[in-house]
Amino acid sequence: MTALIEAADVAYAVSGRTLVHPTDLTLGAGETLVIVGPNGAGKSTLLKLLTGELAPSAGRVRYGGRDIRALPAWRLAAMRAVMAQSETLAFPFTVAEVVGIGLDGVSGGARGAARDARILDALARADIVHLAARDVQTLSGGERQRAQFARALAQLEAGRAAMGDAPRGGQVLFLDEPVSSLDLGHQIALLEAARALAEDGLGVVAVLHDLNLATLYADRIVALAGGRVVAAGPPDRVVDAALLRDVFAVPLPVHRRAGSGAPFVLPERPGRG
Amino acid sequence: MTLSETADMLRTIVLLAGPTLVTLLLAASPVAASERLVAAGGVVTEILYALGVEGRIVGVDTTSVHPPRALEDHPDVGYLRALSAEGVLSLAPDRVIATDAAGPADALDLVRQAGVPIDVVGEEPTPAGVVGRIRTIGALVGEEARADALAAEVEAGFAALQEARARVDGSPVRVLFVLSLQNGRAMVGGAGTAADAIIALAGGVNAVPEVAGYKPVTDEAIIAAAPDVVLSIARGDHALDPDALFALPAFALTPAAEGRRLVSMDGLALLGFGPRTPQAAAALMRALHPGAEIPAVLSGGADAVEATR
Amino acid sequence: MSAGVAGSGASVPARTPAHALAARRARARLGLVALVVLVVALSILALGAGAVAIPPGRVVAILRDAATGAGEVATRDALVVTGIRLPRLLMGLLVGAALAVAGALMQGLFRNPLADPGLVGVSSGAGLAAGVTIVLGERLVPASLGIDPFALLPIGAFLGGLASTLVLYAIATRNGRTSIATMLLAGIALGALAGAASGVLAYVSDDRQLRDLTFWSLGSLGGATWAKLAVIAPILLATLAATPILARALNALVLGEAEAYHLGIAVERAKAAIVVLVAAAVGASVAAAGVIGFVGIVVPHLLRLVVGPDHRVLLPASALLGAGLLVGADLVARTVVAPAELPIGIVTAAIGAPFFLWLLLRRRGLFP
Repeated sequence: MTALIEAADVAYAVSGRTLVHPTDLTLGAGETLVIVGPNGAGKSTLLKLLTGELAPSAGRVRYGGRDIRALPAWRLAAMRAVMAQSETLAFPFTVAEVVGIGLDGVSGGARGAARDARILDALARADIVHLAARDVQTLSGGERQRAQFARALAQLEAGRAAMGDAPRGGQVLFLDEPVSSLDLGHQIALLEAARALAEDGLGVVAVLHDLNLATLYADRIVALAGGRVVAAGPPDRVVDAALLRDVFAVPLPVHRRAGSGAPFVLPERPGRG
Repeated sequence: MTLSETADMLRTIVLLAGPTLVTLLLAASPVAASERLVAAGGVVTEILYALGVEGRIVGVDTTSVHPPRALEDHPDVGYLRALSAEGVLSLAPDRVIATDAAGPADALDLVRQAGVPIDVVGEEPTPAGVVGRIRTIGALVGEEARADALAAEVEAGFAALQEARARVDGSPVRVLFVLSLQNGRAMVGGAGTAADAIIALAGGVNAVPEVAGYKPVTDEAIIAAAPDVVLSIARGDHALDPDALFALPAFALTPAAEGRRLVSMDGLALLGFGPRTPQAAAALMRALHPGAEIPAVLSGGADAVEATR
Repeated sequence: MSAGVAGSGASVPARTPAHALAARRARARLGLVALVVLVVALSILALGAGAVAIPPGRVVAILRDAATGAGEVATRDALVVTGIRLPRLLMGLLVGAALAVAGALMQGLFRNPLADPGLVGVSSGAGLAAGVTIVLGERLVPASLGIDPFALLPIGAFLGGLASTLVLYAIATRNGRTSIATMLLAGIALGALAGAASGVLAYVSDDRQLRDLTFWSLGSLGGATWAKLAVIAPILLATLAATPILARALNALVLGEAEAYHLGIAVERAKAAIVVLVAAAVGASVAAAGVIGFVGIVVPHLLRLVVGPDHRVLLPASALLGAGLLVGADLVARTVVAPAELPIGIVTAAIGAPFFLWLLLRRRGLFP
């Protein structure tokens, strides 16, 4: 497994407060990494360090061996896409236009009907072709989230084309709480789509709150607390009752699925075990 | 759009050499009795009417309020300071006579480029200035004889005024000219203004000689100025109301408030420094010094100037 | 390529989505063509109409002669067309386009449809700096240098616009997010500050300078001359030519600064370019024609409703409609009370203010 991303001793501090303590992390091609942890654990900050949005106050992030700070934005944009927590837009862009914006930063190549085709493909993969002409300002939270997902997918396709239609792989998709507004059906659909990309060779990094979804889709889970990695490894190892109680400060009994033996969490009301 | 615009621009810049030549040729043209005139400035219009050449006027500006029919009889070319080049040219004038205040400069330049000479008369607020304006405009319109007669009449008026001023006795009357009153803040006329000049001609003393030009002053400055009389412009319905004025703390504490001495006069007569200035100064003198002996020659005629109190 | 998407799947509407997207592109193209036609028509009208009655055939003949350098060029009619109407038309087109584009750029930068250079103090800053140049320019620059004071105005106005934009951005934007309330409040404060400073200027200026200042604050194309145009046109043309490069960046910035970076935009460089272009466009416009309000807010807003918010279409469309609006407003300003003239600011405000109120009401209706 070749390393797509290597983070060595990355740390982030702002005005004397350390949000992420020195952390080592690698992401391999085809790997799905899920970051979990309580609110304020530094999940989003770690993700921003990995995407290049924040410059680490110490340490280094490398993409394919090259320091991320040395990569220009347009080059980086061909290598990774980010689905951030969605914000409302001030202007009445349609869903198709928002997805199109995902194409434009990377390649000036596709225009006219070819560009439309790429947009429609991304819309179809996010199951929102029917929303193509809708004003994003009028979308529900879940619909907006799927539109952002489609935009990220479009960017990855454009990036692949910009790099000479290289086979999948070498690219990374970052998802910051991608399913927070979705119904269960669409949560699964989105993570299945991400997982399918990973099977094509992409690296996927997702921040999730739902430990069961994390267990289902992650190759590796990284648990953060107080800006430090407290556990990292396959779901089997990280989803552990003692560890989870320390991280989340509530009892989270871990059970095993019949058959596969995979762990799952069934929350309980404190003190009523 | 950009290419053709640039091309047009270059083309026409070259073309401007032509108009400049024409301007030079036309500027030397002699006075013609049938010249079409545009008057920009109330005092210009007033003098043209006094010279009896109103028939040649084809346009006046909005400050031409005397005689009142001036704006009724002629097209209005707009505010003196915001003239439109094409608007002026549309009246096909042979000459524009304007005061210093006319503008904007670019519009005047365009009118000149179109071959219409613009003669600018000064606005010095002095008797010599008034006489000079009358003679200058008289020469421009070829009415030197009438101008001489009018100038002589005005000079006689100023002479009579001077004698009357010499006869005035008693303590000096301090006069505060209030140009406008906005939000209770007074804009007053200081040294170097036409208001300062007419106050002096009327035998008064400017209460704010240390202010230069028309400036807003504080309430305390008004109290410190201690005016005996407040002088203002009667602007149609917008004249200052003595009840309201002297209710303001700044003015309530002045000597003027005791006698409720507010004098309002027609703005162009008071500040225009045209042919009516001697009569205007006399009217103001009568208001400042109720006992003053004022010769009959200054008491008016058809263009009687009155001060309301 | 479908990756196991659950749910109903795409229901195919009567018109396929591909057609819908193509139709939207066609609509934007049609909008641009219609705007070009509008601008051309208004330009012809502006050359043909005015206080001086000149028959259309004669206007054409004069322009043809002017273009070929043949025939009578020195008649009064010829001078009215080539010396007054033509430079005024060109100035109106350039200033209108620049103001509308500056509005669109600023709204994109602040991610807010209310960000207008006039509304948030950039124009006041430019106007103040222009005023400082008028009043103090002669004292600061020795006459012996032989610099035309007017040549300094655009520079002064540009610096004023730049300073106010930078101050505004620094105050209103934190961590890549712009606070609308802070921006508007800071804009009001900046406007008040510029107003106060302008008051001081009025106090220290002499009568002639005061007249220039007053003319400025009203805004007018009445002072359009070829000489002014020669100073202003290069700045405004360069600004307009540079904006299409920023369209993609502006689209991405609408999603947020972090998102724009993720999408491959050099955010800091794009922001700096936008600020400089806005300052140049507003500064040169203010120097040429004084402070003219509402073009920057009305034009892009209207166009977002008609051709959509995509900056690749919005920016050229804004330039066209801004040019058309100002030329049209100037046509009204100089014909309705001819031979006198209305300040153009009155006309744009008379069109713009009710439109602005309508927009606000409509917003309230849509988002109660």
